[in-house]
Amino acid sequence: MDFTYTDDQKMLKEAARRFLAGACPNVEWYLEMEKDEKGFTPELWKGMAELGWMGILFPEEYGGIGGGVLDMVTLMEEMGYAALPGPYFSTVILGGCTILAAGSEAQKQEFLPKIAEGALRMTLALSEPATTQFNPSLITVKAKAEGDGWVIDGTKLFVPDANVSDWVVVAARTAGKDTDRDGISLFLVETGAPGVGIALLKTVAGDKQCEVVFNNVKVPKGALLGEAGKGLAAVEKTLQIAAVAKCAEMLGGSNKVMELSVAYAKERVQFGKPIGSFQAVQHLCANMKMATEQSIYITYKAAWMIDQGMPEARKFAAVAKTWVSEAYKKVALIGHQIFGGTGYIVEHAMPIYSRRAKAGEYAFGSPNYQREIVAQELGL
Amino acid sequence: MAWDFGNTKEEEAYRQQVAAFLDKELTEEIARQNWEDLGLDKEGRAFGKKLYESGLLGWSWPVEYGGKGLSPVYDFILIDELGKRWSAHVPNDVAYTMVGHTILRRGSDAMKKEFIPRIVRGEIEFGLGYTEPEAGSDLANMKMTAIDQGDYYLVNGQKTFNTESHYADYHWLAAKTDLKASPYKGISLFIVDQHGPGITIRPMITMSGERTNEVFYDDVKVPKNRLVGEVNKGFYYMMEALMSERNYVFTPSRYYPYLNMLLDYAKQTTYLGKPLAEDPMVRQKIAQIAVEIETTQLLSDHARWMEWNHQTMTCEPEITKVVVSEMEQRMVDNAMQLLDQYCQLEEGSKYVPLKGRIEWEFLHSFMTTIGAGTSEVGRGVIATRGLGLPRG
Ligand SMILES: Cc1cc2nc3c(=O)[nH]c(=O)nc-3n(C[C@H](O)[C@H](O)[C@H](O)COP(=O)(O)OP(=O)(O)OC[C@H]3O[C@@H](n4cnc5c(N)ncnc54)[C@H](O)[C@@H]3O)c2cc1C
Ligand SMILES: Cc1cc2nc3c(=O)[nH]c(=O)nc-3n(C[C@H](O)[C@H](O)[C@H](O)COP(=O)(O)OP(=O)(O)OC[C@H]3O[C@@H](n4cnc5c(N)ncnc54)[C@H](O)[C@@H]3O)c2cc1C
Repeated sequence: MDFTYTDDQKMLKEAARRFLAGACPNVEWYLEMEKDEKGFTPELWKGMAELGWMGILFPEEYGGIGGGVLDMVTLMEEMGYAALPGPYFSTVILGGCTILAAGSEAQKQEFLPKIAEGALRMTLALSEPATTQFNPSLITVKAKAEGDGWVIDGTKLFVPDANVSDWVVVAARTAGKDTDRDGISLFLVETGAPGVGIALLKTVAGDKQCEVVFNNVKVPKGALLGEAGKGLAAVEKTLQIAAVAKCAEMLGGSNKVMELSVAYAKERVQFGKPIGSFQAVQHLCANMKMATEQSIYITYKAAWMIDQGMPEARKFAAVAKTWVSEAYKKVALIGHQIFGGTGYIVEHAMPIYSRRAKAGEYAFGSPNYQREIVAQELGL
Repeated sequence: MAWDFGNTKEEEAYRQQVAAFLDKELTEEIARQNWEDLGLDKEGRAFGKKLYESGLLGWSWPVEYGGKGLSPVYDFILIDELGKRWSAHVPNDVAYTMVGHTILRRGSDAMKKEFIPRIVRGEIEFGLGYTEPEAGSDLANMKMTAIDQGDYYLVNGQKTFNTESHYADYHWLAAKTDLKASPYKGISLFIVDQHGPGITIRPMITMSGERTNEVFYDDVKVPKNRLVGEVNKGFYYMMEALMSERNYVFTPSRYYPYLNMLLDYAKQTTYLGKPLAEDPMVRQKIAQIAVEIETTQLLSDHARWMEWNHQTMTCEPEITKVVVSEMEQRMVDNAMQLLDQYCQLEEGSKYVPLKGRIEWEFLHSFMTTIGAGTSEVGRGVIATRGLGLPRG
């Protein structure tokens, strides 16, 4: 057993802490990014690409640095700590990992090096309006073979960053009933293609989740990613990585909230004493510490299992997503409590984190969804 | 250095040896003597001896006292394998997982030679003599005195909640040796023959049927050579040992048997013709139990890993302690909801499900947040030592 980062991961972590502290300077800037249609700046994007982060998960032959999921979560933790906005997650994990898992050699050659350079942004269009609960196999968006290609029709919802993506991977049904695991195919679609309509949703976290409407969208034969009808396996692989990466992001946020609140508890004086000397506040802080600590190791264990190719990774990714989602929510709530009235003000850092905790909880499967996976893996 | 959640080859080989041994030798009866603190009977002692003779005990102890000189990881593996089989700790665990380590750290050479080999062989047990009627969380408020009489210490006073004392060979006793100094600098530790003259042991039966004891000292003479380490350093020794003790005593692995039991129950029990396992509420509850056990196991793995890598632990084992004990209460509550009215039935009752283990665990779960330090005191430790908040 070993609970330490490699030297490379330590360097990555430090570099990320430094870069992101400068790149995400203050609450004002976050609020601006939330209002902004794009939600990030070109300089930020360029800076991250120059640091090699876009290719962290891709093999070298595709312009990447051949890192594993453990490297990815190391970086994601820092992104969560800094509350980084923008389409990094969508591009690299949702788009990149799906192409890596399902793409042909030619598709990988075409897309991955461009992502790695920072020249291309992508996302994955999976959920649909009928999905009141997350369910990756509930797919009613249809793709029909027509002539030399396919025609896609239907509506996707909660598609992160589609508004700033160049391409979107669409999971569409090419056979079977609406909830069948088989019959789902993946397509690479340009967001600018005729018939693609993207509308930005207004969300609690001010992140860029979109409705994406496909109205008679024609794509060529080569747009098919992987085998027709067999797309779900690749999506599930991506979702597993995404769930664990989201845990790391939430873990980073959790750490930041704890750091801010504990520092505040030490300096804020009421009744002639730092509030952190009151036992009621100390116990709140201890609760934050316990919930956060319990989030660290499960996140890294799940990442390690994915890297090791262990079949138990499915269960542990779900355990992690369940625990960390609820832990971060709890930590954010406690953070607000410790800050008293001041944390309720919009220019304060706390609402940035507490609103994101909520978005994270529902991304890639809420605890209810994840517990169902755990139940399946336990043989129920 | 890199994140790694697996065992080394050597550790895995040891784990398998232990597992094979326990699957053969650990009966339900012995496991329960251990787990429920009913007191080690003949069978329990015989099992301890067999464990030693099988060559599986003591790997983490120094070679000169009969161990293998390896890191604590081997003892942790042993405890976890026992835990996975309803047996939360090694037989004679106060000696093996608590007292022994302090003797090794602080005892004289003569004391080590006298006690450690027998501890490593699993032969002797200690009762832990800290708590008194007026000294629970506030241990420093103890009243028991040990007065230096030249040749010996004369000990008088009362202990309470000394759990193993009725079958232990020795008492690991904390008493005041300097009545004027601050308690932190006036308490010493002693090893006392538990059943010697002047000592009276009275049972206290807990709500879950475990036995603990009141122990009275009436002019008990304790030889000078039974003082542990230096005089008046006892409080410091107790605190020094606390973190490590939590790593040995609070083992999340002991909850896996409950999880497995509930899985079987959900699969085998039907309601309105359908297995409970198909009910989404049941699936959610059992999954949540698994989520909490797995994440808590990792807290324990991490804190123990710090220990065997000689890292300074500030509050990590305390976190495990508080989380494990509160998890136990949530687990029981979830489990009882699955059993519904049957959850009330006690072992031996007509219709009792799961041998009454859940009902027993319910009763037991009231103690875990209290024994060995309450959750409130634990949170205080986490806040002040772990997060550096000012003391109130
Ligand atoms: C939306 C909003 C509207 C408001 N409207 C008004 C208004 O109209 N008029 C007005 O006068 N005020 C108003 N308030 C202020 C409100 O009354 C204060 O926010 C509240 O009394 C808490 O004070 P504080 O924010 O300074 O937090 P603090 O007192 O600094 O408390 C910070 C943390 O320390 C804890 N703490 C403090 N002292 C102790 C202690 N002795 N023991 C244990 N824990 C302690 C608190 O519980 C809290 O968790 C408003 C606040 C909000 C958020
Ligand atoms: C089954 C069982 C077995 C035990 N075995 C042993 C044993 O073998 N040897 C041994 O020496 N002891 C043993 N104990 C004793 C155990 O260590 C004590 O019960 C424990 O330390 C708490 O002390 P107390 O029961 O006196 O509670 P108290 O200290 O009186 O606490 C009562 C309540 O007040 C709270 N409280 C106390 N101080 C504070 C504070 N500063 N801040 C906030 N809240 C506070 C506590 O959290 C608790 O909720 C055992 C106890 C039990 C129940």
